[in-house]
Amino acid sequence: MTKLWDFHGGVHPIQNKDQSNQLPINTMPLPKQLILPLSQHIGNQAKAIVAPGEYVLKGQLIASAQGFISANIHAPSSGFIDAIEERTLPHQSALTGECIVINTDGKDQWTKLHPVSNPETVSKQDLLHIIQAAGVTGMGGAGFPSVVKLQSKAKIDTLVINGAECEPYITSDDRLMREYAEQIIAGISIAQLLLDQPRCLIGIEDNKPEAIIALNEALSSHTNDKASIEVCVIPTKYPSGGEKQLLEILTGLQVPHGGIPADIGIVCQNVGTVKAIYDAVVLGQPLITRITTVTGKAAKNAGNYEVLIGTQTGDLLDFAQVDMSKTSRLVMGGPMMGFTIQDTQTPLIKSSNCLLAAEDLELAPIADHHSCIRCGLCEVACPAQLLPQQLFWFAKAEEFEKAQDHNLSDCIECGACAWVCPSQIPLVQYYRFAKGRLKDLASEAHIAELSRVRFENREQRLIDEKLAKEEKRKNRATAAAAAQAAKRAANPSEQDPIAAALARVNAKKQEQEQEPKKQVDSAPKTHEQIYKELKTAAAITRTKLNKTNKALANAVAKDHELAQGLQTTVDELTIKAADAQGKLQAYEAKLGLDPEKEKALLTDVAKANALVRKLEKALATSLDPQGVETQLVIARVSQKTSANALAKHQTNLPSTLLPEQEQ
Amino acid sequence: MGLINLSSPHHHSLSQTSRLMALVLLATLPGLAAQSYFYGYGTLINLVWASFLALGFEALILYLRGRPIMPYLTDGSALVTAFLLALALPPFSPWWLTLVAVSFSIIFAKHLYGGLGSNPFNPAMVGYALCLISFPVAMTQWAGTEMTMTFGQQWQWFWLESVTGGIDAYTSATALDIMRHTKGLTLSEVASSNPQLALGLTASMWVNIAYLLGGLVLLGFKVFTWHAPVAMLASLGFCAGLFHMGEPDLYPSASQHLLTGATMLSAFFIVTDPVSGATSRKGKLVFGIGVGILVFIIRSYGSYPDAFAFAILLMNLSAPLIDTYTKPKAYGHQSKAPRSQGRP
Repeated sequence: MTKLWDFHGGVHPIQNKDQSNQLPINTMPLPKQLILPLSQHIGNQAKAIVAPGEYVLKGQLIASAQGFISANIHAPSSGFIDAIEERTLPHQSALTGECIVINTDGKDQWTKLHPVSNPETVSKQDLLHIIQAAGVTGMGGAGFPSVVKLQSKAKIDTLVINGAECEPYITSDDRLMREYAEQIIAGISIAQLLLDQPRCLIGIEDNKPEAIIALNEALSSHTNDKASIEVCVIPTKYPSGGEKQLLEILTGLQVPHGGIPADIGIVCQNVGTVKAIYDAVVLGQPLITRITTVTGKAAKNAGNYEVLIGTQTGDLLDFAQVDMSKTSRLVMGGPMMGFTIQDTQTPLIKSSNCLLAAEDLELAPIADHHSCIRCGLCEVACPAQLLPQQLFWFAKAEEFEKAQDHNLSDCIECGACAWVCPSQIPLVQYYRFAKGRLKDLASEAHIAELSRVRFENREQRLIDEKLAKEEKRKNRATAAAAAQAAKRAANPSEQDPIAAALARVNAKKQEQEQEPKKQVDSAPKTHEQIYKELKTAAAITRTKLNKTNKALANAVAKDHELAQGLQTTVDELTIKAADAQGKLQAYEAKLGLDPEKEKALLTDVAKANALVRKLEKALATSLDPQGVETQLVIARVSQKTSANALAKHQTNLPSTLLPEQEQ
Repeated sequence: MGLINLSSPHHHSLSQTSRLMALVLLATLPGLAAQSYFYGYGTLINLVWASFLALGFEALILYLRGRPIMPYLTDGSALVTAFLLALALPPFSPWWLTLVAVSFSIIFAKHLYGGLGSNPFNPAMVGYALCLISFPVAMTQWAGTEMTMTFGQQWQWFWLESVTGGIDAYTSATALDIMRHTKGLTLSEVASSNPQLALGLTASMWVNIAYLLGGLVLLGFKVFTWHAPVAMLASLGFCAGLFHMGEPDLYPSASQHLLTGATMLSAFFIVTDPVSGATSRKGKLVFGIGVGILVFIIRSYGSYPDAFAFAILLMNLSAPLIDTYTKPKAYGHQSKAPRSQGRP
């Protein structure tokens, strides 16, 4: 006997299972029309591969899975495709969605099937392919594509089969286990084969003794020496059939927040799902039927029905003789987690386990709810170990982040809190609202984030472009330097731009030292030429000194090795510049030139000219022409005087003197 | 018949706030009986008067707030406040004392904070504390247990605060009060010098046992969890026992602490108030321990006869803080198991 654990909280609603579990499963006659939503499962919507007017056979693929998490859909009976259009979906929102509508022809003619009588002879890959092709999804409620769970990458040591059926009223799994125990065990064996033979624990609540006996009997005749299968009878407590809760009861482990059972080495499948796996492999039949409970006091023939997927609720309710005048609340699913539907054309899908047509006083009356008194009954009941009343306050105050902080996302919406609430607050509705708003906020935040990223990307792009330009420029410079270096490589004496500059300076210096001698040798020069040359030499040395000074400052700043050498050059050049200047002045003195005096004379002339011009202008507009004219005359005289003085000074230039010998 | 659209669950336990409140009211009956047996008709008169006032004020303020009157009036919360006040106030309370306490509880402590479910403090305790501070003499008049008044006398006292025949002989301080105000003597000396003390202690003990019974019934009906009352009684008992072991003549024993004054009434009817208490079970434990310790401290060193009103109000004040630090770990958050490495 496997040890059992308990999960936190839970409630004990009135079971009301006897209403529907007394009679064997009854097969419902073929309905005239079937409506098959393209999305009956978690994941991507399947894609229709038939067209209106086309004839399809029973079991023929009519919509194919799109992507990894998706499922195929098959025609549940033979007939013509009437339409592919929007129809009401089995969902609380009563939204419409794309459905394939089939008008059955009554022949119920099968397509060709490929049964595999001995699954152990088939490769794992082929088995997975068969199950995937058959469109098997979880039949307990969520409708997760089964094949995804069966090819878990993680090491699986326990396969949990969920036969708990903890919701009141529902008995479809109960009857299924009673009547199809052999097939369920065979289906489990296939799943074990695929998961490398983990042990299997079948969890059943102790309120289903017949099902427990049936499964144990089937087990006694079953032989699998590779892995064990055990029926675990668990206490009746809602929601023990919740995947996470059942795992905790059977293994004592909790699925980590945000994780999946495979993270703790467990795969969980519903009993109906393993039966569907059996049908898919051994009978070769795709998932086109299921067992659905019709119950509630308004149902005259309450019981379990084998129905084709796509059967309209109205057809099944009629067949079960439900008196629609007696009920105002039609629940699809159980009373704790099911949702109400208003359109009796809503089809039954792969996960529709129950239709509850309750009489008006059978279910909770629609009560005005009172204030929360924080009694804490909900906290005691919560199987997710949350603080439901705090979540309620947060949801009510629209403090969604706080709700999230209190782990709203871990709420499984089982309804235990609302069930116990003495103030009859529809707590789950508040949580759904808060979850929805959080989703909206998250998508808004996502959009905002996208715009922010887009903006930042643009800014970055602009900066990048700028930098790229800069980089290009630098690259060009480097390339040029490299070319330069290559050149230098040929001529190893030049290794450094600064050294090269230095070398150039030195070379020029030597050149210049030699040049005047050449000139002296070549031809005698006039005084003017010599004067000019001296002037130029002084200017050049000055310029060189300045340049070298700059280079020195640069080298010192960069702490270059050549700074010392440059310093010497600067010192030399300073002496040389002073020397050149001295020679120039000496020569000027020799010639009797006085540049200072000439400058002063030039200034005088310019001043006199300006005064004359000014007075001439003033004369044209002045009110006192007499006075201005006098001034003008005086100015003109001084202009002439200064011009003469300048001319005299300039003619003093000893142009006739013999060429000077350079020292 | 049209089909309606409703959110799940469609099933309900049919538990109701009014039913919870009715259970609480019924559970006070043993204590009420014991109190009336030992102290006379005063508590009963008080109870009727307080209930009448509470319903009246509740209706009035609901009307003023524009709220539906009947649904709230019938939820029983106002009656619970009235009962608790009537039981906590001395049997010799005059009409105006109850009026002040009830009106302040209902109007200020409850409705000005938003009504049922929104009040941060226990309304009855706020009313009680107000009276304790404002009218200390009236609040410490407990009947001498060896004498009981006839209903007529009690009625007269209730309205006029005097009874033909000299009422002073009929009143005395509580056992707790006597113990405190005779600190100069050892407890054994007090007991021998004051014959009333032993009698008072006996009466107090039976009243407490009666409340304990009522409380256990509520626990049995799962009106509240065991955490807060047990934590409170345990911490009070522990503190008292510890000090009594050290100085038996200065500090009363644990059993005396647990069975005198308003210990059991508070433990099962006031500390368990969900509205003003801590939320989680761990939080309730902290809340209860806090009340127990505060009661011991205030009883031992404070200047008021009993300490519950102050201890509970102080812990009410701390409840949000306690809630912040005692948030239970949700499913799947316990272990640091590796997170999903992607879907299989």
